[in-house]
Amino acid sequence: MNTRRTTTPQSVKASRLNRRDFLIRGGLMGAGALSLPALLAACGGDSGSSVDLFFENWPGYMDEETIGLFQSASGFSMKYTEAFNDNNEYFAKIQPELSKGKTIAPDILAPTFWMAARLVQLGWVQKLPKADIPNFVNLRDDLSGQSWDKGDEYHLPYQSGIAGIAYNSKITGRELKSVSDLFDPAFKGKIGMLTEMRDTVGLILMGEGKKIADISTFDAASVAFDKLEKAKSEGQIRSFTGNDYVDDLSAGNFAACVAWSGDVLQLTKDNPAVKFIVPEEGGTSWYDTMVWMKGSENSDAVAKWMNFLYDPVNAARLTAFVQYISPVKGVQEELVKMGGDNAKLAEDPLLFPDAATFGRLQSWGALGEEEEAKFDEAFASITGA
Amino acid sequence: MTSVVSAGRKWGESLSSRPENVGLGVMLGLGLGAVALAAQWVKGPSALLVAVAMLAMAIGLIYTAFAGGLEARKSLAPYGLLKPGIIWLCLFFLAPLWSMVVMSLSSKAGRFDFFPDFTWNFENYRIALTKFRPQFIRSFSYAGIATLLTVVIGYPLAYFIAFRGGKYRNILLGLVVVPFFTSYLIRTLAWNNILADEGPVVSLINTLHLSGIFESLDIMQNGKLMNTPAAVIGGLTYNFLPFMVLPIYVSLEKIDVRLVDAAMDLYSSASQAFRKVVLPLSLPGLFAGGLLVFIPAAGDFVNAQFLGNPQTTMIGNSIQDQFLRQLNYPVASAMSFVLMIIITIIVLIYTKFMGTEDLA
Repeated sequence: MNTRRTTTPQSVKASRLNRRDFLIRGGLMGAGALSLPALLAACGGDSGSSVDLFFENWPGYMDEETIGLFQSASGFSMKYTEAFNDNNEYFAKIQPELSKGKTIAPDILAPTFWMAARLVQLGWVQKLPKADIPNFVNLRDDLSGQSWDKGDEYHLPYQSGIAGIAYNSKITGRELKSVSDLFDPAFKGKIGMLTEMRDTVGLILMGEGKKIADISTFDAASVAFDKLEKAKSEGQIRSFTGNDYVDDLSAGNFAACVAWSGDVLQLTKDNPAVKFIVPEEGGTSWYDTMVWMKGSENSDAVAKWMNFLYDPVNAARLTAFVQYISPVKGVQEELVKMGGDNAKLAEDPLLFPDAATFGRLQSWGALGEEEEAKFDEAFASITGA
Repeated sequence: MTSVVSAGRKWGESLSSRPENVGLGVMLGLGLGAVALAAQWVKGPSALLVAVAMLAMAIGLIYTAFAGGLEARKSLAPYGLLKPGIIWLCLFFLAPLWSMVVMSLSSKAGRFDFFPDFTWNFENYRIALTKFRPQFIRSFSYAGIATLLTVVIGYPLAYFIAFRGGKYRNILLGLVVVPFFTSYLIRTLAWNNILADEGPVVSLINTLHLSGIFESLDIMQNGKLMNTPAAVIGGLTYNFLPFMVLPIYVSLEKIDVRLVDAAMDLYSSASQAFRKVVLPLSLPGLFAGGLLVFIPAAGDFVNAQFLGNPQTTMIGNSIQDQFLRQLNYPVASAMSFVLMIIITIIVLIYTKFMGTEDLA
């Protein structure tokens, strides 16, 4: 979704600095010598054709260790970058190449599900080599068989999460439980909404008792847009944000807002007054999902990599780092085995929601080309853009 | 055959007798060729032809320069010096502008039609001017107010640094520029904390019981400083202030203080000396500062996005949304072109009334 991942655990920051130090020192030692061109080549943004696998991901969305382990376990060389900052921006970046039938450098991307659905619809991704990914069976059941890819042929979820309501209990002075709390006049001018249309509109639709998976036309969703428009013109909504809502929530500018579980999990550690709930009417479930880009010929490496990530041991290590809800079965048990802080994570209700919470989650189906355009335009006119 | 050759030679000689015409011709030819290639007027074999023609022109130019001797080279020099700039402008301004205008008159078959057809579709301009009229008006009013505020804040500051700064001048100037060491985005986001509802500024206003005054001036809305028009204008003012201070400082610093002494000797009061001597001499700086602040502020989208609310979006936000989210390149191009035209008109009027021809 929008630049969501900003928080990086201290230990990782330190290890990154160390690596940078190492590079600088290496560069100084090698300056003028033959190693310099090699170092520059290593840093440069080459097309990725020299490696077996190129994965472009969201910032701060993977630990460095995983890549090293994969390389030594599989024997494949891998390039990993984090230039995927925003679904729409990245789409605008790759569109000129792919629409002309050319290929892009990365083999794998992990866009949010609706963008993945768009890429499938445009024919810009290829079917996954599922026969070579035995760990595919570890995919969480609720994520399997999405309406836009019923046979799970084109995508494999990378991480998932919940959009619900976060609130600052110091400002609200009470517990929140329902979507209707966002429209409580007591919080006038103190409510935040996400610019991510599906999460904001989805939550309001659920508040109106709709099932978002069934919604395929704009008319079916117009009740939510009317409600949002009214709240905006009455001054109920303070602003529409990307993941910068975290600051507004913590600073008390927002009494409550639509929010992502992973962000709030990090935030509550610094500010216990901030709470996250899945409203009683339901919350939206989102996932970023790996797709194999058209034109990539590295089928073996792609299969090995996806299989590696779907091994619960590797998936648990990733969960300990990114702290989102893993799409892989068996992660909770592996975290317990890891012990220490990781075992504590295994008990976190935001990482491993109970069955009742899971039951309240809903996810969007695919919207057709023209209907999606209507949704986006109507939403833009509400956000003022 | 021989007659053709001799005619060619004659033509060549007549050209080399007026090398400045060759320089001008080649400059225009190369510029036109650059636009033709970059804007894709020509494709495939004809593009190759254009490239060959450009090469031929360049060779012809070199030939003229060498065959014509020192005199020819002297008269070629001005155009020679102009050429890099002209070709740069053709490649990176004229050609993209052409593509933008063509795109703004095209229509899309569907949302994911990435190659809209050129159809003289003026509907895009109608949408840009009607649907997005509030954003246009807002952008120019916010940018105008921010420009005035930078003058009110920046002029005295520049005046103080230039005339009273003494040996601290450079340090003070450095302080004006220091905020640029942090990224634009971070500087803007920082205001979020400063102006927060529970933040220091709002608490101070509340302790002093001044919120009523601020509310009546429309600076505060419902007890908020953040996410108001005032916050957006304040952000613009803050971010663009150095662009006003620096040019004014440069023009003030050049003023010979003895001119002020002379005015005083002729019995002018301090304020008269300022109005009749200092202010007119600093107008070029004020003029430049006005352009440097107003133009980027009118197209800015960062301040409105992070400091505003859904009712304070500016045209930059709308263009970004049309381009990235709605994938509506034709309408986004039309909006960008309208923005350019309006800014050009405003700048022309501004130049007319504040023109610098008879100054400096």
